[in-house]
Amino acid sequence: MNQNKKSKEPIQVSHLDVKFSSEVTSHKEASALNACFSCGTCTAGCSISEVFPEYSPKKLAKMVKLGMRQSVLSSRFIWYCTTCHNCEQHCPQNVKFFNVLNVLKNMAAKEGYAPSPWAEQTRQIMKSGLIFPLNEELAEKRNALSLPPFKSDGAKAKKLITLTGIDKIESGSQQ
Amino acid sequence: MNPYALFLGCTTPTQVIQYELSSRWVCNKLGIELVDTDDFVCCGINQINLSQEAGLLLAALNLAHAERKGLDILTLCTACTGALAEAIKKLEDQETRDHVNGKLKTIGLEYKGSSRVKHISRVLFEDVGMDRLKREAKRDLSKLQVAPHYGCHYLKPESAFDGFDDPDNPKTLHQLISATGAFPVQYETLSLCCGGKSFPISKEPAWSLIQKKLDNLMHKTIDALVVQCQTCYLMYADQQKVLNEQLGKHYHVPVLLFPQLLGLALGANPNNDLGLDMNGISLNLLLSKAGIKHTI
Repeated sequence: MNQNKKSKEPIQVSHLDVKFSSEVTSHKEASALNACFSCGTCTAGCSISEVFPEYSPKKLAKMVKLGMRQSVLSSRFIWYCTTCHNCEQHCPQNVKFFNVLNVLKNMAAKEGYAPSPWAEQTRQIMKSGLIFPLNEELAEKRNALSLPPFKSDGAKAKKLITLTGIDKIESGSQQ
Repeated sequence: MNPYALFLGCTTPTQVIQYELSSRWVCNKLGIELVDTDDFVCCGINQINLSQEAGLLLAALNLAHAERKGLDILTLCTACTGALAEAIKKLEDQETRDHVNGKLKTIGLEYKGSSRVKHISRVLFEDVGMDRLKREAKRDLSKLQVAPHYGCHYLKPESAFDGFDDPDNPKTLHQLISATGAFPVQYETLSLCCGGKSFPISKEPAWSLIQKKLDNLMHKTIDALVVQCQTCYLMYADQQKVLNEQLGKHYHVPVLLFPQLLGLALGANPNNDLGLDMNGISLNLLLSKAGIKHTI
């Protein structure tokens, strides 16, 4: 997407995917995007936009509606969200941009753009049930503090994750 | 008071153990029974990034385990709170619930929707109540001025929290702090996010967010920033040190987890009961101001 660099260049109509918007809104969680009238309340409240103006939920929503499929899904910016939910807090159209963004990220992940921290965490959950490993050192530290042993159910987590197929997602780089 | 299944999450019991230690001490002191279980897994909040279905399934697995024990869940992490509460909301939809139960069946579980999720601060606020907290205070913390930080998922997404507190103008942590005797300081960047969920992907925006709050707090007369989530803690405490050491900043904002502050009021030993010696930024000044003769 290159929101900060290429945004100064005109959008090439031939590069647009007219079906992208309906592809996104066909997901129940993102269907309310159809009601977006680009008022920018999402961006006004966005934590990341406040310190990093290149990131803009309003702009991403507009890019989806225009059909900028490749630019959106390959963008590193879609992964910058800090999940504060401010974008949806005051949306007059009840769009729930957080959910729209999740749909975009899920699509991008399937196309090979998942950042490595999230793919790594999935692999770790499949081992221990948690995003961190449990080891002897930790067990001793907890024991010294008279805390009970800490365990998780990695086998059940692994089974569920395998059913979704995200265990097969390879991480890739974004633009 | 009803017992709760203790949901520790991934980060608190492995990286911010003083949060678990102080929470257990406070709950024990106030008669909140916590039930430990071996079968909880990650709440699924980060897996939503790759697959909303995977995130929901992990949350549902945890909820189904609590249901089987006939218990509500008490959380420490605000993100776990938000993920589990949002999952409960999503699972109200019958089609979604049927789909999830189809998958849970393969691991011998079923989600029925009978267990609720409450963050420890909400349990303290609703189950114990302000009056009793004030009555139980053994130490006078009235000389302490602290800045509250709520954590985004404590109250958002709003639809998942049944009107408990107001995300735009939250009050419960302010009131809980007041109940300890300390004074909750008002400050401009109260609602600013800690950036913890974007930090693994890109450090700079998250660092900018925490600097904005720390810059604000450096101009206030406060003894500590009080948080109620281990990720917020790691961002404001551990990353504050990183900013000082690697970027030449000169921040000095001590950070306390709310159960540590409450524990001090309830007469706990600062190190043995609350793990204050595990907090990276010294709290000796705060202790001496509160008249607590103890060196960390």
